[in-house]
Amino acid sequence: MKLNRRAFTAGLGAAGAAGLMMPRAARAARDNELNILCWEGYNTDDVLSPFRDLHPGATVRAESGTSDPDMINKLRAGEVNVWDLINLNQPWARGQLLPEGLIKPLTKDRFMPYFEKMAPEFSDPAYPLAFDAGGELIGMPQRYGPFSFVVNTDKISREMAEDQGWKLFLDPAMAGRYGVLTYDNWNLIHMCLTGDLNPFEPLDEAGFATFTDVATQIFGGAKLLTDDLVAMNTALINGEIDAYFTGGTYTASPARLDGLTNVRGITPKSGPVGGKGGVVWIELTSVVNNPDPSPLAEDFLEFVQKPEICKAVGFAEGTYNPVAQMGDEAVFSLWDADELDAIQWDSLAEEMAGSVEYDVVADYDKLMEIYTAARRS
Amino acid sequence: MQRDRQLGLFYALPLGGFLALAFLAPILLVAAFSTMPPKVFSLAHLPDFSAYYTVLTQGYWKSVVWSLGMALAATAILFVICWPLAYGMAKVLGRFSLVLTICVVMTLFVSENIRLFGWVLTLMKGGLIEGYLRHWTGAGFDGLLYNVPVIVFGLVYVYLPFMLFPLAQGIAMVPDDTRQAAFDLGATRWQVLREVELPLAMPGILVGSLLTFVLSAGAIAESKLLGGQAVIVIADEVETAFTYGQNWPLGAALAMVLIAIVGGIAIWGIGRADLDSMMARK
Repeated sequence: MKLNRRAFTAGLGAAGAAGLMMPRAARAARDNELNILCWEGYNTDDVLSPFRDLHPGATVRAESGTSDPDMINKLRAGEVNVWDLINLNQPWARGQLLPEGLIKPLTKDRFMPYFEKMAPEFSDPAYPLAFDAGGELIGMPQRYGPFSFVVNTDKISREMAEDQGWKLFLDPAMAGRYGVLTYDNWNLIHMCLTGDLNPFEPLDEAGFATFTDVATQIFGGAKLLTDDLVAMNTALINGEIDAYFTGGTYTASPARLDGLTNVRGITPKSGPVGGKGGVVWIELTSVVNNPDPSPLAEDFLEFVQKPEICKAVGFAEGTYNPVAQMGDEAVFSLWDADELDAIQWDSLAEEMAGSVEYDVVADYDKLMEIYTAARRS
Repeated sequence: MQRDRQLGLFYALPLGGFLALAFLAPILLVAAFSTMPPKVFSLAHLPDFSAYYTVLTQGYWKSVVWSLGMALAATAILFVICWPLAYGMAKVLGRFSLVLTICVVMTLFVSENIRLFGWVLTLMKGGLIEGYLRHWTGAGFDGLLYNVPVIVFGLVYVYLPFMLFPLAQGIAMVPDDTRQAAFDLGATRWQVLREVELPLAMPGILVGSLLTFVLSAGAIAESKLLGGQAVIVIADEVETAFTYGQNWPLGAALAMVLIAIVGGIAIWGIGRADLDSMMARK
């Protein structure tokens, strides 16, 4: 057949038009498609390959984000049509995603039994922040970790760091000896705690003044700021700094698994929120309110409750974290001694007890403004 | 003639339309967002330009000044470093300049972040420089990272090719005969440089300077990785506003301010450079 230019162009047009007229056919394919937006870990081969084996015809794609708000921006920018699951830290699901209709509740009957096998912090009662005000289940918890600050225990002993708590960073002797890991939303919480303020309740004028002083002093005394945990651990290990503001199991574990167990996440012994000074993050994985939902979304959420997959999620490349499912002996037995030491298992229960839940910061906007201004000057 | 011009316009339409869609539309979207009230995530609101007020009153000028200042310093340093190198490539080295070109271009194959992290490992305390020095002499020092000069160093390192190649092209435009004639007429080396070479190579100088300046002004990785955010650059502020700040209008307004300043400088520069003569030259 001889194809002239005119016929080719006409054919191209027809093909394009046909594409436009077949959205239904394209949609039907979503039964075999799953897109996951997550923190690193759920996107590894160790997690995805076994799921792909279970669903040979399905296209399973996972992309990891670099921050909670980054991932939320994607949904806000219209990508609710793209994603089926989103994995974020606990306050966002209840505080922002659900009210804005970006996620939807899970099938309770299917997932409630899994809570019973979780560690006591999550099972008795079932983890409260996984539910909305009306009792609907809005996400499943899995990875978690205390997140306050990290020290080099060769330079600052664990006891001293725990006793001094956040005041360590206001000590004039510490000026130029610490870094600030710029996970901005975490810095806000930790700076409030440093100033004996409760970040989760509205502050008064005196509170804002205190926060301003703390932010100025913390940034003023910091030797370096970075949002890269590898760079921060490197500076801690080579002695450039002795501690870093904002950090915990999540950031210390890669160094600890390499044998550098002098890098340790610290949970202060006391603090302003009901006597507690530490903070803990807990990830929730929720189903995105995709107008054309994939039935595989809930299947995947159930799949990641399996013991070997729990381990793969908790011990993904990059960072290592405890998972709520470690309350189940079948899951716990998969961790060896070095791995347990990397996630500071020896003090985990104690640290959890000394920590409050990472929550929505009440005066986030105002504090963010003060924070960015202090960081600039 | 009139018909030709119309035809030209007609033929340019598809590409023009594509450019408008792919290049202008995102900028217009950012511009539209920058006029929205704070913390909204759609354009369906009445514009109130409050984000610009925030930009002006919240001290963001400091970040703008730091970014532009460091970009200016990097551009000036790059010009001084690259001039002799480019001169060599254009006039002296002959075929060896190809080797030099390949060497410089090869660095671009590796991601900027990885190259900068290489420098972190070199410059940090206990790194390649300080570690060896301490090993040999017993006396160490505090590491070379986390300050402003090291950020400028990073900019110079990363954007070197963007100054070098336009400059070499510019210097190649200086006819040898003109230089010879100037010498014959008794000009000193300094006079030849100032009155013959610099003016004739000006298009290359302007293009190189513009490229490095514009790229450096929007750079973020150097300040984050090498500088430990010793100063907060404007690109960092834009990123913070869009992500942790969850304030898209503020981020958009900051981006527009940067686009306006850098765009203004670029248009002024391009207006002065005779790009046609540079491109048309065989």
